[in-house]
Formats: sequence, C-alpha cells, structure tokens
Amino acid sequence: MTLDGTYKISAPRDIVYKQLMNPEVLSRSLPGCEKLTPNPDGSFSAQLKIGIAMMRSTYQGRVEILDAVAPEHFRMLVEGKGSGGFMKGEGTLTLSEDGDDTLIAYKGEAQVGGLIASVGQRMILGAAKQNVTQFFQEFAKQIAAR
Amino acid sequence: MSTKLLGERIKRKEDPRLIQGRAHYVDDIKLDGMLHMVFARSVYAHARITKVDTTAARALPGVVAVYTGQDIKGKLGLVPCAAGMEGLKIPDHPCLAIDKVCYIGEPIAAVVARDRYVARDAADLIEVNYDPLPAVTDPLKALEKGSNVIHEEFGDNVAFVAKLDAGDWKVVEADSTLKVIKQRFINQRLAPISMETRGVIASYSPGEDTLTVWSSTQIPHILKTQLALMSGVDEARSRVITPEVGGGFGSKLNVYGEEGVACFASKQLGKPVKWIEGRRENMLATIHGRDQVNDLEIYVQPDGKVVGLKCLIVADLGAYHQLLTPAIPTLTALMILGCYNIKHVDVETKGVFTNKMATDAYRGAGRPEATYIIERAMDLVAHELKLDPAEVREKNFPSPKDFPLALPTGVTYDTANYQKTLKRVLKAASYSKLRKEQERLRKKGKYLGIGLSTYVEICAMGPSSRMPAGGWEAGTVRVEVTGKVTVLSGASPHGQGEETTFAQIVAEELGIPFDDVTVYHGDTFQIPMGIGTFGSRTTAVGGTAIYNAAQRIKKKMARIAAHKLGIKPGALQFVDGKIQTADGQKSIGFGEVVAEAIFAKQLPPGIEPGLTEHCVFEPPNYTFPFGAHLAVTEVEAETGEVRLRDYFCVDDCGRILNPMLVDGQVHGGLAQGIGQALWEELVYDENGQLVTGSLMDYALPRAHQFPWFNTSNTETRTPVNPLGAKGVGEAGTIGSTPAVVNSVMDALRPFGVRHIDMPLKPEKLWNAMKGGLKTS
Repeated sequence: MTLDGTYKISAPRDIVYKQLMNPEVLSRSLPGCEKLTPNPDGSFSAQLKIGIAMMRSTYQGRVEILDAVAPEHFRMLVEGKGSGGFMKGEGTLTLSEDGDDTLIAYKGEAQVGGLIASVGQRMILGAAKQNVTQFFQEFAKQIAAR
Repeated sequence: MSTKLLGERIKRKEDPRLIQGRAHYVDDIKLDGMLHMVFARSVYAHARITKVDTTAARALPGVVAVYTGQDIKGKLGLVPCAAGMEGLKIPDHPCLAIDKVCYIGEPIAAVVARDRYVARDAADLIEVNYDPLPAVTDPLKALEKGSNVIHEEFGDNVAFVAKLDAGDWKVVEADSTLKVIKQRFINQRLAPISMETRGVIASYSPGEDTLTVWSSTQIPHILKTQLALMSGVDEARSRVITPEVGGGFGSKLNVYGEEGVACFASKQLGKPVKWIEGRRENMLATIHGRDQVNDLEIYVQPDGKVVGLKCLIVADLGAYHQLLTPAIPTLTALMILGCYNIKHVDVETKGVFTNKMATDAYRGAGRPEATYIIERAMDLVAHELKLDPAEVREKNFPSPKDFPLALPTGVTYDTANYQKTLKRVLKAASYSKLRKEQERLRKKGKYLGIGLSTYVEICAMGPSSRMPAGGWEAGTVRVEVTGKVTVLSGASPHGQGEETTFAQIVAEELGIPFDDVTVYHGDTFQIPMGIGTFGSRTTAVGGTAIYNAAQRIKKKMARIAAHKLGIKPGALQFVDGKIQTADGQKSIGFGEVVAEAIFAKQLPPGIEPGLTEHCVFEPPNYTFPFGAHLAVTEVEAETGEVRLRDYFCVDDCGRILNPMLVDGQVHGGLAQGIGQALWEELVYDENGQLVTGSLMDYALPRAHQFPWFNTSNTETRTPVNPLGAKGVGEAGTIGSTPAVVNSVMDALRPFGVRHIDMPLKPEKLWNAMKGGLKTS
C-alpha cells in the first residue's frame, strides 16, 4: 500500500521541521496517539488507538526518525502491533519553501497484517489516507496555536 | 400389500429436531467444570518466532492455563497426514507453532480459562515477536529456482510430483492433421464455509484414564484413532462422539491441531475443555478447497474427435499437509478424461507448498477441477472447430455398451449412458429454440449464453486397496425385544439425511413401519467400526453394509419362522409386519418371531439367541455417477453483470432411494458450484495476508442469486453394490461450475472472448467486452 501526497502548512520551514521533531506536538497530532515517550536510542515508544472498519484496537509500537537533514527531509519508520494485528510503515517527508509557507511532500509504503488485513482490507487505504490528513490538519492547528 | 419405501419422497426423520432448534451441536453440550479454550494465531504468513510472552495472559483473572508450542513439544503428536504417496514430503506439523509460522492464522498459543470471553481477552495479551521471512504465495513462483523455501529441510517447495502417461505420444505428435488447442485454467481457492464452524470438547478423566471427545467431525472413528495416538491415551480408552454436525463439505474430514490441543489441555488439567471456532478463524484456519493452475493441451481431429490430452496440474497445497491434502489433486489426474475415452494421456501433477492454509477435500475434492478442465476443453474444441458443443461431446462419448470401461487413467467406469442424460437436458432446455433466441437477441445487442457440462465423477469411496486407511463401511441391525429396530452406521452423516434413507432400507426389507426403525451414528463406543461420510459414499457403501446386515437378520428370522410354522425354510416374505409364505397361506407376526429369537424357548437347533447382525461392506470398485447440466445466462454488456436465467440438470446417481434427498443434494451442490463460477474466491495478498477473511469480503452466494433449478434424473443402476446406488453428494458441485463458465463464454462469443478465469466478476467481463464486437 503506497501513500503519497503533499500538505501545505502556513509557517516557515525551520519552524515546521522543528515541530515535526517535537514529541509533544507529534503526540497531539498523531490520530489516536495515547502515549509517545522517547527511548534512549532516539526512537519513540508509542501507544496508538486506531479503528479500521469495525475494529478499534490499541497498538503498541515504535516511531523512529532516520536520515534527518534539517530542515529538508527525514525518513520515518512506524510499527505497531496489537490485538487487531500489526502495521508497519516507512516514509520520507520532504519539506520545501513555498513563499512564507512550507510544503510537505510525503511518500511511503505501509503494510498491515492479521485481523485488520483479513476483514478490513477494502477500507485500509481509505482509513490510512484519512489518518494522514488528520495528522497534518492537527499538526497545522498545533503550529497555528503556538 | 407390500411396504413400499425405497424410491419414495419420504420426509426426513432428522428435520423436526433441526427445524425446531432442538438438536444438539457441540456448543450445546455443557459439562460440569468445563473450561474454554481460545487460540492466539499468527499474523504473519511466514516468520520465525523469536519470543512468545504469556505473562500478562496468565495473570488475567480467570485464566487457568496457557500453552505454547514449547509446552506441547514431545508431549502431543503432530497433525497427521494420511496420504501415503511415494516420495511425498511431509513437513512436521505441530499442533501449536514451535519456532516458525508458515501461514496466517497458524495457532501459536492456547489459553484455557473459566469462560470464553476471558480466554479471548487473555489470548490478545500474548505477546509474540516475529522475525518476518519473505512469503511464498504464488504456486508457480514457488516452483522457480531461487524461490524462498518454506520448509528448508526439503530444499525446495515441491511436495510431490506424480505422473500419468498412457498411449503413444510419438504417433500423436507426428500426426499433422491434428489440431492442438492450448489453454491455462486457474481453479481458484475456495472456503468450504459450513454453517456450523468447527468445535470440540475434550474430557479426560484421570481416575479412569479415559478420553471422551465431542467433535463436529465427518470421521469419528478415524479421529478417535488419531487423537489417541496424538494424546497418548490408549485407543481402547478413547471415545469420540459426534453430535449434530452443521455441515462439513469435506472440511471436517480432517484431524485438526485444535482438537489435539483440546485433548492435551484436558489431560493436563483433568477437566473438560471446549473450543468453538469463530467465523473468522473458520475462514483462516479451516482447510480450503481447489487452488490449482492447469496447463492443458488437447489434440483433436478436424471432425471434433479428441485423441490426446496433456496437462500440467500445479496444486497449491498451502504450508502443511492436513489429513488428505496431497491426495486431492491426484483425483484431478484420475478423472481428467471425464466421460471421454481419450487414448493418449500425459498428466503431470505437482503439489507445491505456499505460505497459506492447507487445501484439502472440499465438496468434489479434485474432481470439480478435472471436470472443469475437460468440459472447458470440449467447449474450446467446439469454439475452434466451429462445431456445436453438444455435437462435440456426443462425438466423444463411449457407447453404453462399452461399460464397464477401463480408462488409460487406471480406473474402470462401472456403467453409464451419457447420450441419454445429454439428450434429456437438451430437450428440457429446448436447446434448438434457445440457440435461435440467442441469435435474435444478439442482433438486439443482448448477450445470452448457453453452456453445457457433461460430467462423470468418482464416488462411493472406495475399494480399500485404493484408499489410505480402508474404504469399507460398517453397519449393524439390531431388532429389540419390542420389535423396534436399531440401526448403527459407521458412516457419520451430517446433514445428508441417511437417518431417513437407512431407515427406508431396513423398514422395507423387514416389512415393518418406517417409524419403527431408528438410526444411530457418530459414537465410537456405540458403533463398533466406521470410516465416515465423504466422497459421496454413505448411501452406496454405508447403506449397503446395513442392507447386508438386514439380509442376515431376515435369513435368521426366516429360519425361526419356518420352524414355528412347521414348514421348510424357504423363500418367506417380510410384508406388513408379518413373515409369510409366497402364497400368503401361512404367516406369523414379526413380533412373535422376534420374541422367539430373543427369549429362545423353542429355537431351531444351531440358532443363537438374539437378532443383532453386524456387516462390513467392502466395495469392489468405485461408482461413477454422471449427468448433463445446462446453464442459460445473460450478460449485461454495459456492466458485465451475469444473470443466471435458467438452470437444467439431469443427474444419474444410479438407483434413487429417496428422490427428495437427491434433489436436496443437487440443489446445495449447484449453489456451491455456481458460486465458484461466478462469485467465490479466497484472496491472499503478496505478503500472504488473507484479504477475504470475512463474509463481508468473501462472496458466498445467497438464495436470491439463483433461479429455480430444473432437476431431473435418469437411473442407471451400478452393479458395484446390491442397492444399485452410486452417490450424489458432490454431483451438483462438479457438474455446474463448467456449465456456468461455458455459458458465460458462449454469451461473450461475439466479443471474440475465448477464456476468462473464475470467478466471472462483472469487472473482468466488462474489461473483456470493452474492446467491442468482433466479427468472426
């Protein structure tokens, strides 16, 4: 499952990049994020409550930021598992200046397994896209409220 | 007046309790102190297990025990495979995965708790760490060099290769007048989906050292032997009881790991343990059916006479063998010639491991695939040679006088009249009128299809020499003191209605009321021997055992009756509750003879008291039911939707004992066969995730999608058993799939379409038609 798209944030690139690296902002922006705590190795442990199709499950997982080049781009690894199965995603976020705004281009691959794959497959892509949009909308709000 | 029961539409003895909801299935059985079990299953298709942490699950209040693969290792036997084929690779198949998982849904741990909901919650708390491996999901890619290997110990993914070669291919290949027609067919993976899912209760009594198992199974006796071997309880102290079974379709002709774990858990805990499968588990972890890729070559004369057939059968077996997994595709090779005596045959069957649930027997089991190949081939011959499909079939049929007919595949067809069923179905459907209507409608831009299938199947399984663990069946007839009759059958019917058919046989033979006969099955303590219900065998093989036992009862009763009447024992008749001479001049009541037989006051010399006869029938051959089906479809050019307008079938299952039950079997079979042609398909994605894991995603047909089925029969009795019955449980499934596909392909002919793989979803048809009409 491939996810890609762009999202425009009304804030300078430096600020956007910095906030994307801010666990507090991230945890408020990630849909269903109940916990996001930093690990000694630089990654984060996450607890996410996500509903796809008729299944709402809690996923324990890990978020890791790699190959970060401030303020231009970074790679993000997300993986989680729970009673609904597992999810894994890897994506690149590229930030470019667009006047006073910042354009975030994202491109990633996601994989799901277990129950969510076997009963929710037709909804997964839609649900994933919706979650990405929700993330950016919430993130934009957080930046605006700064 | 004699008691006429055989051949009559007698209502089923089973129905009142089933219709009123008073029957008892496994889940209706509640035992004192019973615990409930739930499985934690793999979410990866292929992975090494690096850790299974059950701490949180064990800590949940109400949880009694948690078992993992490590706990059962060396203590609980492997899931058995009974297919004894030469060179077959059989991977170890533990009841709970030990350090590797090979398919989605493979059981990893079992939680036993005081109630089912606590067990479910605890199963979700089990933490499994996986080291994912690349999943092998495409059977053709699995065969390629360099493919990932699922069972490393074998070096490749090939479980077996079987060859069948007959005739003289040098002659065929040198004959330049022959046309060669090639086609690849994909026979998609299906889910059997019985109404009742699997279920088991295992109850081990430590004091008596006995194991009693209630299981929703088709094979109680085989299951008893296997569970005894797996759990280590002496077989003589093991008992399997099969209560009501809500359908099986072959999926319960098996021994499953969950049944083994239930026995293990009960033995460990000394308490009854129940497991009831959920619907999603049923889709994931109950055997699947079909799943073959067939590369066919047909060598045909210009007049439509087929002389040679080559086929490569690649069968997707899944990750492990279940009881008969590798044997199923060999039935495809065995029946690939259908009702045509094609001289030159070259069939290679390759069984391939993939990271999926095992395939095994699903209604038809290997023969629907064979029938699909040969019946699609007949239509391709007609298509390419511009002949009528009915004419091509007729040209290739053997004559009724040719039977018994030994085929190059190694089987001998008992008896048949293929011409008769074909003629009947063409008449029932008004074939020539339909062809004219088709022409008319095409001119108006409407696309009507007419599809034929003339099938033959292999049933009444089977001679013990050809079966993995015996092919006989056992039956007992016992006349009670009151004159009521108890019948015990080793076949374990589960919805087919043999409690009725068997009672018909015995009541008619003994000349007593139908209601005086009660049939029991499915309890290994009551029924001394048995094999089970599958392969359309129960009436033909199990019924014959009972018929033979009834003959022995009659013989004994006739001797006692003659002694009482003071006549020579001879041909006495059993009619209307009496035993009488042929002229009716002398008679004695049935009950009177029963009393004499049991109270034994004046028995003739050499006669033992009692009226219990046990019989085991060993069939000398299989039976080969046949028939002709015709499907009329309409394809919507704008949307690609198919409407099945009419369905006609003429089935010959030998002698019919109860026409209502035969109709019922055909109707149900048609629903499943048509379902494969048009809608049903289990889909795994490239990671081995099952994406059609619920009835929201798997297109199981509903009643409104079918027209009224116009069923009828011819009766060509088999000489293989004294009843003359051949078997009908799978006929509808086998005959219908190619009839429907042939019909839809016929509808699409103006578009130049030659073949589309099943299921014939609107999307595929729409795509095939969007190129527009082709003038041929």
